[in-house]
Amino acid sequence: MELLYILIISLLAAALSLLPVGKRFAPGVTILGSLAVFLLSLRTALATAAGGEITAIADYLACDSFSALILLLVAFVGLTAAIFSWGYIATTVGETDDRKIRRYYSRFNLFLLSMLAVPIFSQLALVWIAVEMTTLLSVFLVSFESTPQALEAAWKYAVLTCMGASLALIGILLLRWGMGPSPNVAFTWAGLLAASPQMPPALLYTAFLFILIGFGTKAGLVPMHTWLPDAHSQAPSPICAILSGIETTAVLYCIMRLLPMFQGGAAADIGKWFIIFGLISAGVASFLLIQAKDYKRLFAFSTVEHMGIIMVAAGLGGYAAHFGAMMQIVSHTVTKSLCFFAAGATLMATGTRNIGAIRGLIRISPLAGTFLMVGGLGIAGAPPFAVFLSEFSILKAGIMNGQYLVIGLLAFFIAVAFFGIMLQINRMVFGRPEIILMDESALQFARSTAPKHYILPLACIIALLATVIPVILFGVYLPEQLYQLLHQAAASLGRV
Amino acid sequence: MSESEMVFSFLTKLNALTGGLFLLCAFGLVGIRQMLTCLRIYVFQALLLAVSAVILGYYHASIHLFVVAALTIVTKVFIIPWVLRQAVGYESYAKREISQVLNIPTSLLISIAITIFAYYIAGPLLAANGAGAFEKVNLPIGMASLLIGAYTVTVRGEAVPQLLGILAMENGAFFAGISIASNLPLIAELAAAFYVLITVLVIGLLAMRIHTVIAKTAVGEMMALREE
Amino acid sequence: MINKIIFNLIQVIVVMAFAPLIKGILARLKENVQSKRGPSIFQPYRDIWKLFHKDEVISEHSSWIFRLTPFVVFITPIFVALLIPVLTDYPLFFAFMGDMLGGGFILALGGFFATLAAIDTGNPYGPMGSSRTRMVGFLAEPVFMIVFFTVSFIAGSTIPYIVQKYWVTPLANFFEPAHILMLLAFLMLVIAETGRIPVDNPSGHFELAMIDESKGLEYSGRGAALMKWGGSMKFFVLCCIFLNVLVAPWGLAHGTELWQVLLAVPLILIKISIFVLVLVAIESSLAKLRLFRITEFLGAAFVTSVAAMIIGLFFM
Repeated sequence: MELLYILIISLLAAALSLLPVGKRFAPGVTILGSLAVFLLSLRTALATAAGGEITAIADYLACDSFSALILLLVAFVGLTAAIFSWGYIATTVGETDDRKIRRYYSRFNLFLLSMLAVPIFSQLALVWIAVEMTTLLSVFLVSFESTPQALEAAWKYAVLTCMGASLALIGILLLRWGMGPSPNVAFTWAGLLAASPQMPPALLYTAFLFILIGFGTKAGLVPMHTWLPDAHSQAPSPICAILSGIETTAVLYCIMRLLPMFQGGAAADIGKWFIIFGLISAGVASFLLIQAKDYKRLFAFSTVEHMGIIMVAAGLGGYAAHFGAMMQIVSHTVTKSLCFFAAGATLMATGTRNIGAIRGLIRISPLAGTFLMVGGLGIAGAPPFAVFLSEFSILKAGIMNGQYLVIGLLAFFIAVAFFGIMLQINRMVFGRPEIILMDESALQFARSTAPKHYILPLACIIALLATVIPVILFGVYLPEQLYQLLHQAAASLGRV
Repeated sequence: MSESEMVFSFLTKLNALTGGLFLLCAFGLVGIRQMLTCLRIYVFQALLLAVSAVILGYYHASIHLFVVAALTIVTKVFIIPWVLRQAVGYESYAKREISQVLNIPTSLLISIAITIFAYYIAGPLLAANGAGAFEKVNLPIGMASLLIGAYTVTVRGEAVPQLLGILAMENGAFFAGISIASNLPLIAELAAAFYVLITVLVIGLLAMRIHTVIAKTAVGEMMALREE
Repeated sequence: MINKIIFNLIQVIVVMAFAPLIKGILARLKENVQSKRGPSIFQPYRDIWKLFHKDEVISEHSSWIFRLTPFVVFITPIFVALLIPVLTDYPLFFAFMGDMLGGGFILALGGFFATLAAIDTGNPYGPMGSSRTRMVGFLAEPVFMIVFFTVSFIAGSTIPYIVQKYWVTPLANFFEPAHILMLLAFLMLVIAETGRIPVDNPSGHFELAMIDESKGLEYSGRGAALMKWGGSMKFFVLCCIFLNVLVAPWGLAHGTELWQVLLAVPLILIKISIFVLVLVAIESSLAKLRLFRITEFLGAAFVTSVAAMIIGLFFM
């Protein structure tokens, strides 16, 4: 029943946070709600770590190890983002505008609800609706700041992902068609897997391509990625953390669930599509990273790159690569949310999103500087952090498979991205502290100010600390239960 | 020819006619400049979707498809135009003509190419899955409408036509869906109808916000965010 | 045999006699819709009569083409009337001479001569009208082709008498998507070919905006009468092709008795009048398109015909 409670709790939190009682009420309810959701998700994850499935309503709500992994990550990012929001929203919106704050939190909770629904639903049509709801319910979070740029980003986000949605819908309907006309077949992930050997290969293949393109739009795969850097850079930082850290991954989860339906030669074909899309995404994004002028955009491109890496890992095939993909999902999610929290902290400390405008962040705000550095190193894949371990295991699995060309390219792209991220972050974090303001009329950097020392709100510090722990921890040690969960999830990607 | 065969032949032809007009509506959304006419064409297309659902429902004796038809009519024929009028009424009445990146004859030719492509990809599927007379019409036409809708979204630079393009895509997916996946659980159908409403509401409200902030809805001209 | 020859001649006479009437009805109804009284429906007859009694002026710079054209324009619809079903739903004596494509070519011949004649005199408006007619013609040509191919593919023939039967046996064939879409496409073609709104304004008097009318500006007297009469017969014949061959053979004589054929005359006139009502509705509710928007109109016709073809091909 945990699964049902999770959904009910976040719905309740959304409703409660609209109540006009005090300034602290809405964020408080949101944090408590997401904490409860996190604990319940943890319970679900632990229960499925040994394998097997938890079912709340047969054919509708169920969780196996892979979905429990995604559920756990959603709940984790949701919790930390809720905590971070307390400090961030209060600072940026200002304490006065109560209604705007309440609106933010209710939308936040609804968005979280739809995100949680993606792994919890097992009925494919409902999964599709949940995925689309994540878009629709987050559109107004992206446009929250109501600047022309934010509105443009929200528009692109809504229109492109809705287009993708319809493409994915026809793919899903085709899958239903392939299962035969009987109304008694369970149209769930498990039912689909059971029915897949009887389906015509042409049908499966076409359905897969439609879903890949459709959901791939939402996961930010190149060339359907154009909305992603905009939306992920214009939204408020806690929302960016959810969008970039877990929303993309949750959509990728829906694509990856199709993998075990293909056997033998078909599996290799499908793997090729994964690898092609993955390499293109990683390659294009790693080069676009270098020229990013906005540090939130920088991290957004890095998300595209990481989606590419996960796609390649999923496409390589074999247990080792799939395990690497799962690890990459976990490490990317925690690291990317850290990055966006750090970016939010930097924005609060400096008031600008421009990379070229910031020098010596570490002296302006030591905490923001440190976390940005850690986040940058972590997401670029420097050794003691989680991403390094997962990328390393993917590269290793690929070499074991003998796919040297793919791995060579992937390693090259990772190196380029590392270079791009570190160059930019270094420039921001170290040096003489100054913020160079844009001269709006001449469009060039003009006068510089010597900034004051900035102290982050407590809630933000807590959120940053909570995310930095797994980023470092998973780089050196993987808890036994998590290992089990990843193992089960990776095994479920291969044909049983 | 027995009577049931006659009825079947008549129903398939009627359904195919609905399909043909449905496809024509998709072409219309690409090829017509007047915003208000586009809106009417969309409503007509939704009506055709409902007609096809009724025909299929009558043939399969499925209450389910009648519910789909009723939902379609209520949401798409009544509520959506009303919502659009509330949210972006100014745009659809005051601004009459829509600009387009590619000119209309070219767009129409591309739409034809898209239709042929849709038949090309639907062909093997129909052959592989032993399709009946209804699927043969609905699947390729639904796919064509879906892809033409995607094309509409890309070439039109105005908020409402882009939204109509998305809705046409979604109409296309449903047009295919009522024939190939007519046995989805009712809750999924209800949720889908609800989803369409939310889409219109969200995108419509966003268009209104854009209009209040930057005083136009030529979303194609928004260029603040891009790679240098 | 003799019967069939007589019926064939009756067909020609019906076309010659009633073509101006249909034009008159159309003009009158259009005025009525605009809440004016409008001219009498017999006005075209009076015009033609009047023109026949006037002197003809022919430019001395013109060649034989200019003098020949009125006869060609007058004769070609009569030839077509021999081939197509105007009154009967079975082939008559001369029907073996050509199919629908043949009819199309003969009508095109008249148009071709009219175009040449307009250039012949050196009047500045003539060539302008000619080039515009050609533009419309070039754009309409592919639609014609696709409609005929679709029809011949679906009905299995290009003989009008076989085609018309196909649509109603059984009646479900009438609702075939290819049929209805093709009708839409052909309706747009009839509008473009006969120069109705939204492509051209037949009652416009502004030479710069003319498409079809400007070609006949130089004619006077007998020549003008023949051109006018020929033009209305072309309209009548096109309506017959559209209504009798492509829509359905309803109202045509089935039997071989004389009274049955004569009974078909009022039925056909009623059928065409209903079509005229549709035309009036279209003309009154649309505005004339700007010249370069005509491509869009015919583009729409093209798309419709191709949709008919695609659905027709795959529905079989």
